[in-house]
Amino acid sequence: MILIVVPAAVASDQAEYEHAAKTILCDCGCHPQSVHDCACGRAAEMRDEMHALIEQGRTGEQVIAAYVAEHGEAIRIAPVARGFNLLAWLGPLGGLLAAMAALGLIVRRWVRTPHGARPAVGDPAAPLAPDDGAYRERLRREIEELR
Amino acid sequence: MLRDLTNAIGHWALFLGLLGAAWSVVAALLGARVRGKGLQLSAERAVLATWGLLGLATACLVAGFLADDFRLDYVYHYSSTSQPLPYKIGALWGGQAGSLLLWVLLLSGMACVMVLTNRRKNRALMPWATAVVGATITFFLVLLNFIEPPFLTSAARPDGVGLNPQLKNYWMMIHPPCLYLGYVAFTIPFAFGIAALVTRRTGDIWFRTTRRWTVFAWFFLGTGVLLGAYWAYIELGWGGYWAWDPVENASLMPWLTGTAFLHSVMIQERKGMLKVWNALLVILTFSLSIFGTFLTRSGIISSVHSFATSDIGPAFGVFLALVFFGSLVLLVSRLDNLRSEHRLESVLSRESSFLFNNLILVGMAATVLFLTTFPMLSELATGSKVTMGPPIFNLVNIPWALLLLALVGVGPLIAWRKASRENLLRSFVLPGLVGAWILLLLGILDARAYLASAGALLSALGRLDVSAGFQEFKTFYPAITFALGGFVLATVAIEFWRGARVRVSNYEESALVALGRLVWRNKRRYGGYIVHVGVVLVFFGVAASGAYQIEAVRELAPGEPLIVDDYLLRYDGYRLLAEDDYFGAVATLSVYDSATGKPIGTLEAEQRYHPNLMFPELRETFQHVKALGETGSPQYAEGVAGLYRLVTLLERQAGREVKTPSTEVGIHSSLSPLAASRFGEDVYVIPLAIDPATGRANLRVFVNPMVNFLWLGGLVFVLGAHLAVLPDARERRRLDAAIALEERSVAVA
Repeated sequence: MILIVVPAAVASDQAEYEHAAKTILCDCGCHPQSVHDCACGRAAEMRDEMHALIEQGRTGEQVIAAYVAEHGEAIRIAPVARGFNLLAWLGPLGGLLAAMAALGLIVRRWVRTPHGARPAVGDPAAPLAPDDGAYRERLRREIEELR
Repeated sequence: MLRDLTNAIGHWALFLGLLGAAWSVVAALLGARVRGKGLQLSAERAVLATWGLLGLATACLVAGFLADDFRLDYVYHYSSTSQPLPYKIGALWGGQAGSLLLWVLLLSGMACVMVLTNRRKNRALMPWATAVVGATITFFLVLLNFIEPPFLTSAARPDGVGLNPQLKNYWMMIHPPCLYLGYVAFTIPFAFGIAALVTRRTGDIWFRTTRRWTVFAWFFLGTGVLLGAYWAYIELGWGGYWAWDPVENASLMPWLTGTAFLHSVMIQERKGMLKVWNALLVILTFSLSIFGTFLTRSGIISSVHSFATSDIGPAFGVFLALVFFGSLVLLVSRLDNLRSEHRLESVLSRESSFLFNNLILVGMAATVLFLTTFPMLSELATGSKVTMGPPIFNLVNIPWALLLLALVGVGPLIAWRKASRENLLRSFVLPGLVGAWILLLLGILDARAYLASAGALLSALGRLDVSAGFQEFKTFYPAITFALGGFVLATVAIEFWRGARVRVSNYEESALVALGRLVWRNKRRYGGYIVHVGVVLVFFGVAASGAYQIEAVRELAPGEPLIVDDYLLRYDGYRLLAEDDYFGAVATLSVYDSATGKPIGTLEAEQRYHPNLMFPELRETFQHVKALGETGSPQYAEGVAGLYRLVTLLERQAGREVKTPSTEVGIHSSLSPLAASRFGEDVYVIPLAIDPATGRANLRVFVNPMVNFLWLGGLVFVLGAHLAVLPDARERRRLDAAIALEERSVAVA
């Protein structure tokens, strides 16, 4: 967010510049930052270039298009959400939802049908019989020991 | 010559170490087959000897740095005569060969600890565990001996290139060793996992006996990640701390799967379930550790972390493939021994919530992997390269992370097997109310913005504009984060309160004593809860500093003020300096509360230039000016100004850069609890340019709300992890009993 109070015309120029600067990757190659964010010398140069283009009357989109024309789509900090790239935008979220649904179904199936379960001797899943006094006594003793 | 001797010793120590490691593998495997005690003992001794040899080799390389032996290529590239001593030592891990040496030194040291602590237990597993660890050490030593030898020499040179200036920072120095401790330590649980599969001892001994290794590895990896983030925050100067750089991602992925592993083994311990999944997780985690280092070193992806490309990529690729696919084959062959002892009884149960927790953690790791490698996929599929920058990672990962945060609260309180209505009501109504109340409060405070975003979100969905839709949804993240965080903190508080209350009523202890004893007697559990609190704090810091950051860019002359948010900054003045291996200007600013005018603090922001000392005129002038500074000469400032002019002149003549710029960000952190509304907030100043003659400074100022919650959360995380690994007599007794039981049952079988 930027808090700068300026006249309307300059404000819209600033908005156009920011849109471009936040969409284009700084090509210094050291860290995946946008031109707006990167603190290196190359980013400063690119920011000056963009300011100059905006002052010539271009819009943010036109500036972006110019950079893409020269450097290819890889100059965008994130790919356009179209075509193959939708796999990147929607894939993980879609994958999450699908996996959760699948897990939910699998768990439901496990719960309903005993799955490969070989209950160990003295299965704790079975409720204690009311007359299992010896077992209860042993239980009580062991809990005391562990304290 | 002593230097020649030391380099030769180092070189041969590496070779002998390779032989020792290879022998430890052969002897261990033979010992497992032949059941002879002698061979395994020999293997273990070889492990110890290898460590000694690697220690010697490392000492020889460090000696090369300390002696400024620039005939050594490695020392030449990463050190220089003017490099401060700590960075000469730290330069050991500044490059490919040295960092490989550090890795294998740490691994070999851990192998020694593994051997020494298991002299009288786990004897059936040890031969295989020794073989696995030994094989990994052997692989790295093959690299060090034949592909990236650190003791290569060339003709004598007067001075070295030196470390990249951005690496000359305390946090950057400890970040790699910290990460390596994490990566490397995961080898031990993996080795025991493989040993368990091979010997068909697929109970829970293998991960219970390596629990502290797992927590240790997970802790150092997590801390290493946070240290890297902290360094990025204070050094790279963009106001952020995480850019989803491929190598950052490579360290996050094994941490995510390691976290999943840490949790899911609890299910196996209690219920004998998820055996296949746990084996798979430890294989994945170790593979991702190796993959991480492969990504950094192979040159497949370029990044600030990348080392120079070489043949190392294919070698790592082969090793990784062997490890991953070999382990999977072994796992599949042992499926019969990995059957569950119990079954899942309900979707609403702790087992189930741990399963979902695992799903999300592994899903996030898969997401990060997918997005990191997407540029390559895109090039293969469409021929055009794309960049995966922070925007897509942030937008796509955050929903996962928020779900995970919700589970952090649900998991510890929900009942085992099947949560009854009573359990759900008793445990979750209060925390749920806390979360809902926070959500409502935040919604009301910023109602107009939320309603506008909701409207825009619906319209974007209507237009099928995916990225715009994500952008609008982003507005809700902070509120959801705070609500869920409140929910989690409430669940943790309930756990502590309930446990303490039982002690107070049963033993008549005072509340404080009860709390202390409760935690002390259940260090693992309550240490874990403290870690969860740390995680919540990190989430708070990320949410607030990401969503509510304020920025201003202004050019100021000395004396001029600037108002940003509710701060008034005054540019007090500047001074020029030349020291260590840089010259530049320092701007001093005072920070005041803009409403009351009360002074809050001061900060200094530096713009530095590191001169290329290969240019003799520049080197001499620089040394001369530095000397002026040391003697307090009045010509000092003018001397530094002269350096600026000289550099400009040389650059015009040479047609290229003769200096490397770096900045030291000026940060003022509000850490006093008295100033509650700005607690954890940073005022962050980056000098974009400072004119040495007039002092006019182009400054970029950020206000980062709650960003210190990240580092504070990290400290809480450290506390919790330490607590969880402290020795526990009861745990030791039970594990010893379990091991004895298994030995008896195997002997009978």
